[in-house]
Order: sequence, then C-alpha cells, then structure tokens
Amino acid sequence: MENVVDQIGELLVRLQSADFYERERAVKELSQRDEDEAVAGLVLALEDRDLGIRELAADHLTRMKGATAAQLLIRFLGHDDIGSRNLASEILVRIGSSAVAELVSNLNDDDHDIRKFIVDTLGLIGDRSAVGPLTASLNDDNVNVVCSAAEALGEIGSGLAVPHLIAAIENSEDARLPAVEALGKIGSPQALPVLSDLLENHDAVLQYAVIEAIGRIGEPDSVGRLAVCLENGEHLIAEAALTAIIRIQARRRGNPDTDLPLDRFLGFLLDGMRNGNPEVTEFMLSRLKAWHTDEVLSGLLGIVDHLNDSTLKQVTDILVDIGMPAGRYVVEKIIDSPSGLKLKLLDVIKAFICDDLVDSLLPLADDADAEVRQKLAHVMGLCGCRRMIPLLKQLARDPIGHVRAAALSAMGWLGDENEVDFLFTGLDDPYPDVREAATGALIIIGTTKVVAKFNADLYHHDMERQRLAVSALGWIGESEVVEPLLNALNHPDAGIRRLAINSLSRLSNVERLEPIVMALNDEDTAVQKAAVTALVALRGTDAVSDIRVLLEDGDVWVRYHTIGAIGELGEERYTDMISPYLNDEMDIIRIAAIKALTQMGSTQVLPDLERMRSEKNVDLAKAADAALSTLGGKRDGTPFDSGR
Amino acid sequence: MDIELRELTGTVVMDLAGRLDLASGSNLKDEVKKLFVRDITNIHFNLARVEFINSSGLGSLVSIMKEVRLKKGRLTLSNLAGYVQEIFDITQLSHIFEIYPTEEEALASYQPVPQA
Repeated sequence: MENVVDQIGELLVRLQSADFYERERAVKELSQRDEDEAVAGLVLALEDRDLGIRELAADHLTRMKGATAAQLLIRFLGHDDIGSRNLASEILVRIGSSAVAELVSNLNDDDHDIRKFIVDTLGLIGDRSAVGPLTASLNDDNVNVVCSAAEALGEIGSGLAVPHLIAAIENSEDARLPAVEALGKIGSPQALPVLSDLLENHDAVLQYAVIEAIGRIGEPDSVGRLAVCLENGEHLIAEAALTAIIRIQARRRGNPDTDLPLDRFLGFLLDGMRNGNPEVTEFMLSRLKAWHTDEVLSGLLGIVDHLNDSTLKQVTDILVDIGMPAGRYVVEKIIDSPSGLKLKLLDVIKAFICDDLVDSLLPLADDADAEVRQKLAHVMGLCGCRRMIPLLKQLARDPIGHVRAAALSAMGWLGDENEVDFLFTGLDDPYPDVREAATGALIIIGTTKVVAKFNADLYHHDMERQRLAVSALGWIGESEVVEPLLNALNHPDAGIRRLAINSLSRLSNVERLEPIVMALNDEDTAVQKAAVTALVALRGTDAVSDIRVLLEDGDVWVRYHTIGAIGELGEERYTDMISPYLNDEMDIIRIAAIKALTQMGSTQVLPDLERMRSEKNVDLAKAADAALSTLGGKRDGTPFDSGR
Repeated sequence: MDIELRELTGTVVMDLAGRLDLASGSNLKDEVKKLFVRDITNIHFNLARVEFINSSGLGSLVSIMKEVRLKKGRLTLSNLAGYVQEIFDITQLSHIFEIYPTEEEALASYQPVPQA
C-alpha cells in the first residue's frame, strides 16, 4: 500500500490535469481525507480555472470547519484576484466560529488589506469572542481597518463595544460615521448622550446616521430631541427624524403623546402607508383621529386602493368616528376617482352612508364600470333611504345582469311595499341571478299583495315560476301563506305539492291539517314522505295515528321513511308498532326498524338484535351490533342517549 | 322567542332562541331600543338557537340594523343555522349584515386589529 504522502501527492498532481472530470474526482477524494495536506489541496483547488471545481472545493472546505482550512484560507485574503479573496472570505464566514481564533491571530498582519478583510470577515461571522480583538482594531494605523472594525462591532452587536466606539467617535473623525451606525445597531442607551451631541454636527450624512441610530436605540425620551429635527431645512434629515420617532413609538405600542408638526410629512407618510410599511401605517392610524385636515383626508382616500383589507377596515372605522366631514370627503373623492379606487371608496362609504350623503353618489348610476353601478346599488340599499327607489329602478333596468340583481336586492332591503309590481317584473328576467334577487326582495317585503301574486304564480304557464312561487311562499312564512300552500297540495305537479308540504312543515300556525293527511295517500311517494315529515313536525306524537297506515304502503321507501319518522319521535311506547319490521322480508326495512327502535330506547328487542348480529347481510349485522351497543348501555342502567 | 342578554366590555351579546316573526321581532326591537337608551350600540345577535325566521322577522332585523347604523354602532350576527343561513342567502341579506361563523369571531372583530 502506498503511503499517505504519496496518495495525497498523486491527488495534487491530478488537480493539475487538463481533464475537468479528473480534477473533479481529485477534489472529491481530497475531501474524504482529514490530513492537513489534503486540506491544502482543496485550498489550492480554489484557484482552479473552472468555477465548478472552485465551488466544489469551497463546499468541502466549508463542511470541514477546521482550523487548518481557516489558516490556509486567510492567506487568500491577500490574493491579487478579488474573486479568490471574496471566495476565501465567503468560505471563512461559512466555517464560522471555528475560524475565529485563526482570524484573530492574524489581525496584526503587515498587510492592512488583509487586516481589513479579516475584520470584515469577523463581523460577518458575528461571534462575540471577536469583540475584544476588534475593539483593539479601532486603534489600527489604517483608517479603513478602523472603519471596518466599527462596522464589524455593529454587526456583532455586543454592548461591550459601546465605550470603545464612543472613544473612536471622539478620537477619529474618519471613524465617526461607522461608529455611529454601529452604536445604532447595538442599541444601547449608553450611547445616547454622545449621539445627542452629534445632532448638532453640520455634516448632513453624519446627522442622518445619528438620527437613525437614536431611532434604533428606541428610547422614548429621545422623541423630544428628534422632534426638533423635524424642523430641519434638509428634507431627508427631517424625514429621518420622523422615521426614528415612528420607530420609537412602534416599540412603545401606544398612542403618541408628543404633538408633532406632521403636515410637512403628509406625502412621506402616505407613501409609507401605500408601500405597506407597518410602522408608518400604525403611526398614521394612531394620528388620524386627531389629524384629519382636508389635505390628510384627501391624501388618505387617494391611496385606499393600495391598502390591505385589515388596514382599510381600520381606516374606515376612523373615518366613521370622524363622521360627516370624512363622509363628505369620501363621496367627493369617489366621483372623480379611477374605477379601482371608486370600488374601494364605495366599500368605505358603506360604513357611514346616510340620507345626507347619498345624493352625491347619484352620478355613479351612469358610471361606465358595471361593478361600480352594482356596488352603488348595494350602497343605496344600505342607506335605507326610500327616495333612492327611482335610481334603483333605473339600475334594475341596467343592461348588465349583476347590476339589475344588485338593484332588485337593494329594493328588497328598503322594503317598499309600493314596488311589489315592479319587483315581480324581475321574475321575467332572462338571468337566473336577477330572478333570484327579485324573489329575495319579495320575500323580505312579504306583504299580502306579495303572497297573492305568488299564489297566482302557482298556476303560471312557466313551471319554474310555479316552483319559485311555492318556495317563496314558504320562505315568507307569514300566516297568509298557509291557505295558498294548503291549496297547492292539490296542484297537478307533484314537485309543487312536495315543496308546499315542506314549507308547511316549518310553519307553526297550520291548523287545518287534513290536506296534509290526505297527502299521505298521494300518488307520488316523495309527496307521501314529505307529508309524513310535515305531520310529525306539526303534530309530534299525535301524527302517529295518521302516518302508521303508511307502514304498510306498497312503496318500500315510504315504509322506510315512515318507520324513520316514528323513530325520530323517540317514544318507547311505539316499540310494538315497529318491532314486527325487524322480521320484514326486506333487509332495508329491517335496518330502518333497528335504527328507529334504537332511537326509542326499546330494550325489549335486545334478544332480537342479538340474533340479528349473525345475519349474513353485513349491513344488517352491523346495524344490530351498533343498536346493541347503544341499548345495552340503557339496560345496564346507564342513561340512554339515542343521539337525537 | 327567548332573548338573553350578556353584557361584555363594549358589546352586548343577545342570545336569541325560537322563532323570529312579527311578534318576537317587535320584542327584539324593543330590547335593542333599551340598549340605545344606555348608549350601547355595539350589538351581537347569536342566532344559534333560532330555528325559523319569516318575512316579518327579517324586516325586524333590517330595521334594527338601520337603527344601529344611525347610532354609529355595529350589529353582528353569528351561528346561523342552515335554514336561517339559507334565507339570508336567498334574500341577499348576507351582503349587508356582518355575519360570522362563531360568536368568538364576531366579538374579535370588535377589537382593534394590531399591526404586524
């Protein structure tokens, strides 16, 4: 076997091969070894002419995380080729804390460029053990190293660096800017006195950085000092001060208690809201209740289509609190806005539309955008103002179906009994959603006239109108609908008869039940079943004497349904009526009987159920098993719960 | 119809049970007016136990909503059972009422939304 040195030597030779794949294999094999020579080989591969090889070597070096790799890579920080330098730095950062000791031990390198790269790399690694050595670098002879040291200390964010950074501000004019920025990132209030003094500095760039640092530190006491900067003639400085104040107040999570001259910053704040800046948005929302000049409201309404739903809701709530002045602004703004904004503003105005505002919206009835007209109809309906009926009637004749539907719905919400005839014309509309809207509106109005017209519609030549009429009568649900629905039980269409019975079953004031009892003998089984359900709903156990006849009906599903309806009553006294069906020739009836007897809590059928557990029909056996499980509990003294 | 009141901070919850028709709708309006006298205008109706609403009942709800809006308050509804939800959909009233699946969600909507 060859010795280790020879093996690695061979791999190093292969690293020089002209063949890409040969070099790639060499890198992979080197990465399997842990000898320092192998690591050195990988470092050499960082200079390969092919990017793929360089990245492969870098990847393996990163995973090694060893001191040897760090030591070798540091030499690359002084490489002539900037790409190699950056790659070495990147690998060192990826190696992380394991590279810190090697980097620190090279902080006194003769080459100031290497020192600077080392300092930068330590900052990017962010390991706190580098803070001490980096504070020493604040006194480096080379100004670039000093500045990089300040930046690195800011990145690491240790409070231990604060006195050193303050000293650097006082000792080195060049270091001031990065030191101020670093103090901001560290966020220690200990830095505030020196930063406050620097606010007087006339260097705008430094002043900007100082303001930003004070904002990052976030002490509430700084707001007063920053407020002075709001008057600064330099717009960027003033805006930085406001941003810092906003940041401080966002941290406090409370209402601002300082009176700030904000008018100058309206555009800046609105931009922040429009761009979704959460701190600016929160600040604006906190100020709006007290700060809603014409310019503010106008500007705010101009950006509502950029706000998310949550913010829009909060803005709307504030506008509602402000009341009529805000409402007038919204209305004025809507008229000349583009479509998207109009729709958003119509959503806003919904919250406080009233008699006094609604007239100003009338021009929107002729808006080119159908969605605007549709939303306008909703707003009109919400305002509850009946003098809008003519406008809604105009919209109910709109060429677009959605608009007509919205207008008819809104007329229903207004509940004007005088418009019943007009609403009935909506039932002839070619679009189903318009017909549904007209029906809904008529249901809300629900007067005697509406009932009479729907009653007449039960014999309309159009079958859909007949069905719609019987359903509508049911939804209206007033005492006037009982007779028309009972009469509908003689309707030639079985569907109408069934719907009429379903509607009757929900009413509490049906005194004449004979027509429903008669329907138990209807030629249509669906009608028969509906009659069973309705009689049980209306009469409870008193219905049993009428419906029991259907236990012998010729249709299996009528029998099934009747057994189920009696079971639903949950009365054990009907056990003898239902238990014979445990032996019915049809399994489906036997299953219905099992379920019904379970609902009744009929323990006397337990022996039958026990026997049925061994039935060949799996569904039947399962039903018996489930019933035994439920009824067994009752027999054992546990309170019975049929699950009803 | 049974009406039970629960007073919470800033909102009154009214638990309604039974049938909402002309008579019970009128009672409900009276109860709401009593709240207005006490300057309570944020009202939540929990409809979990309402089994039936007819035209008059719907009219009462619309009327109450308009009154609440005039008072700059809010009316929210929750827990609409299948039948009640259906009639709200048919009449499109679900467009103008603030309807929440649960009482908890409705009451949460009365709280200010914290910024991210």
